[in-house]
Amino acid sequence: MASIKKVPALSAAPPLSEVSVLGWMQKNLFSSVFNTLLTLVTLYIIYITVKGLWVWGIADAVWVADNRRECFEISTDGACWAGVIAWLDNIFYGRYPRQELWRVNLGIFFLFIWMTPLWLPRVKAKISIGMTTVFLYPFLGGYLFAGGEKGIFMQIMLTSAIVCLLANTIHSIIGIFSGRSLPEFISSLSGKKNVSDKTQRNIFLGFLALIFVLIFVWQMSWSLERVPWTKWGGLFLTLVIAGIGIASALPGGIILALGRRSRMPVIRVLSTTFIELFRSVPIITVLFMATTMFPLFMPQGFVLNKLVQVIIAVCLFNAAYMAETVRGGLQTIPLGQFEGAHTIGLGYWQTMGLIVMPQALKHMIPNIVGNFISLLKDTTLVSIIGLFDVLGMLRSISKDLPWLGLHKEPLVFGAILFFLICFAMSKYSRHLEVKLSTGHKN
Amino acid sequence: MAVNNNNKKTATSKPDEQFDFFHDERVRSVFYQLLTAAAVGLAAWYLISNTAQNLEARGMHTGFGFLNTAAGFDSYFKLIPNEAGVGTYGRIFIIGVLNTLYVSALAIIASTVLGFFIGVLRLSSNWLVSKVALAYVEIFRNTPFLIQVIFWYIGVFSLLPRVRNSIDLSGGAELLLLNNRGLYMPWPVPGDLFWLTGAAFIIAIIAVVILKRWAKNRQDKTGQIFPTFILSAAVLIFLPGTVYFMTGMPLNWDIPKLEGLNFVGGATLPPSFVTLLVALSIYHASYTAEMVRAGILSVNKGQYDAAQSIGLRPGRVMSLVIIPQAMPAIVPPMISNWMSTIKNSSLAIAIGYPDLVSLFMQTSLNQAGYAIELVGMTMAFYMFVSLTISWLLNIYNKRVQLVER
Repeated sequence: MASIKKVPALSAAPPLSEVSVLGWMQKNLFSSVFNTLLTLVTLYIIYITVKGLWVWGIADAVWVADNRRECFEISTDGACWAGVIAWLDNIFYGRYPRQELWRVNLGIFFLFIWMTPLWLPRVKAKISIGMTTVFLYPFLGGYLFAGGEKGIFMQIMLTSAIVCLLANTIHSIIGIFSGRSLPEFISSLSGKKNVSDKTQRNIFLGFLALIFVLIFVWQMSWSLERVPWTKWGGLFLTLVIAGIGIASALPGGIILALGRRSRMPVIRVLSTTFIELFRSVPIITVLFMATTMFPLFMPQGFVLNKLVQVIIAVCLFNAAYMAETVRGGLQTIPLGQFEGAHTIGLGYWQTMGLIVMPQALKHMIPNIVGNFISLLKDTTLVSIIGLFDVLGMLRSISKDLPWLGLHKEPLVFGAILFFLICFAMSKYSRHLEVKLSTGHKN
Repeated sequence: MAVNNNNKKTATSKPDEQFDFFHDERVRSVFYQLLTAAAVGLAAWYLISNTAQNLEARGMHTGFGFLNTAAGFDSYFKLIPNEAGVGTYGRIFIIGVLNTLYVSALAIIASTVLGFFIGVLRLSSNWLVSKVALAYVEIFRNTPFLIQVIFWYIGVFSLLPRVRNSIDLSGGAELLLLNNRGLYMPWPVPGDLFWLTGAAFIIAIIAVVILKRWAKNRQDKTGQIFPTFILSAAVLIFLPGTVYFMTGMPLNWDIPKLEGLNFVGGATLPPSFVTLLVALSIYHASYTAEMVRAGILSVNKGQYDAAQSIGLRPGRVMSLVIIPQAMPAIVPPMISNWMSTIKNSSLAIAIGYPDLVSLFMQTSLNQAGYAIELVGMTMAFYMFVSLTISWLLNIYNKRVQLVER
């Protein structure tokens, strides 16, 4: 008699090789004689390496000592981290006056505050926040870092930057709680409903103007002590150079890439020449060119300081590299997108800005982050031409009298520092890539 | 008929559109180009006139005449003979170029071999092995190359023992000796009849090429596989070998010997060279490994299954099916990796290896001035290398595309 089961039979338990630790090990580590051998050899190599590093770097290492000789007295075969610890301030800030360090910290904190909204999903107007970071923050940060007398231009820009920082912060706090933008919030304070966009904007601009005047008056009452660029150094200087390089590389790279794809021969040839010139030479030659030839390029009596020379060189170099990344991204956009934009009557800049670039940038994210990582790593080269960036500082530890000859530990510390920054960036870009992918593949 | 003609006419002739000078695309294009050209030209003129004034004010000379004057210094590592105070700046340039190319060429070979090896480990089915390979790649890719170079130099190669306590890499035979003055090794000195062995080797290569063609033709026609590999290896070893022994082994080895405080004879590679070679190889191998991995993964999985289902052994699956298809994805990034190996060899300057940048842009610049010429020549060399390489790459890409479609 046939019967129909109403209840599905219980599924059999997965085979042991799929769930148990032993099964996993059997499958992934000991699947054959050869693999077993390989695993054992690798385990041995890992053991030797980790043990060596552990003994040298942690177990036998000296953390507290006054000089290198004391390190040796405590332990002869361990690392002398005491030297690195004693120099930590120098590694991070260079020779920046110690009583003014709060300015560097505050500047970095402001940058953090400024950019955090970009990661908050409920905050609106991310593009304006991003743009103001690139165009206004440098004045705030620059004045905090350098200080000195404020010219009228600097006063206006500094005030705008502070106003913008305030507006950004209030805007993001409102955004987090209510999901509204600052202009909406301000016009809703007046009690009226259904305010038109135009009045909303006017009220907002008026509000900004009011704050601007207040802050302008306030900022006239104080000024910061001047810190010459020669005192800048350490990781701070590395980040300043890399930061300016990054901020200028993207716009510069986009312009160059568009120029290289342009239909106008003069513009195309000029862009291509620039890109190929800078991509084919090592960055150290560009830095040497900056320090030896830029002074010749300047009108007589005009002296460009070394930091500015280096920053210009880094910007030119990176714009060329970024241009190729952007071009690669543009090539992934199918022709139909250009044609579609054309048929609805968009001009060149509208097509690029509204249709092509947003799609292309998404494709480019991993490569852009890759570019940023290599820019950060390449920034260490400025130590060769005599700037005291993080590597320059790490290397001068071995010339400091108490720590004479301490080479290895600072370099290992520097390597770990860069590894943490670069590894985090590359992991983040991987995450972003997954998050932004819409499933379309061209 | 007439109606048709009329229709055609209206379709081809434009409706009464007037030529609008300000909104015509061609006029605008010409205008923008003129504007750009003028701006660039003006900037160039400004920079050049400033430079001319500055040079005049500082009493500096220009021109390439200095290349024929004697340089007051010499490079401690060189592939062609030179002497301080006698050799010209032109000769220094050639020494620098050769030194750069020498270390880069060796580093390219080493990093490619190492990179392929790590890349294959990365794809290993053994979890531990692939994770170790991943750790290698991540560590070396995420730290600045300059820190690595300096670390190898100061942390490893400067700590080598003195000459008396040299490390013997050949296991007691005293052939490969490593100490803080560098790497010492035997160097071949060819005798009178050695050219015969060389000639025999060339003949063997030609024979192997002919053999391969013949074997391929035969396989295409009859389907039979001829054991070319073993036969060609035999030809390559035995033909020159026999000639070598028949002519009475005309090759002597100059072996380094300890005399007084230093080794004499053989060939020496200075520590800076060995450092740079090791650092470049390890750093660029980590990039090559990722390219190899990505290339092999880019081959559709169906290709494995299909190749296995027609009964190919795993080795043949790789060599006949997977690798040929992965190559177009591996080669272009790998060649640009080679290019960046050449460019990164310029960091020799940090450890004192006399490459082109260090000899020409630093030492010569300090000694002779002529900033524009020296910087220009150095950059021109790198550009020449880069353009040559991208030209070769274009040829390769075209060939691959033709094969594909």
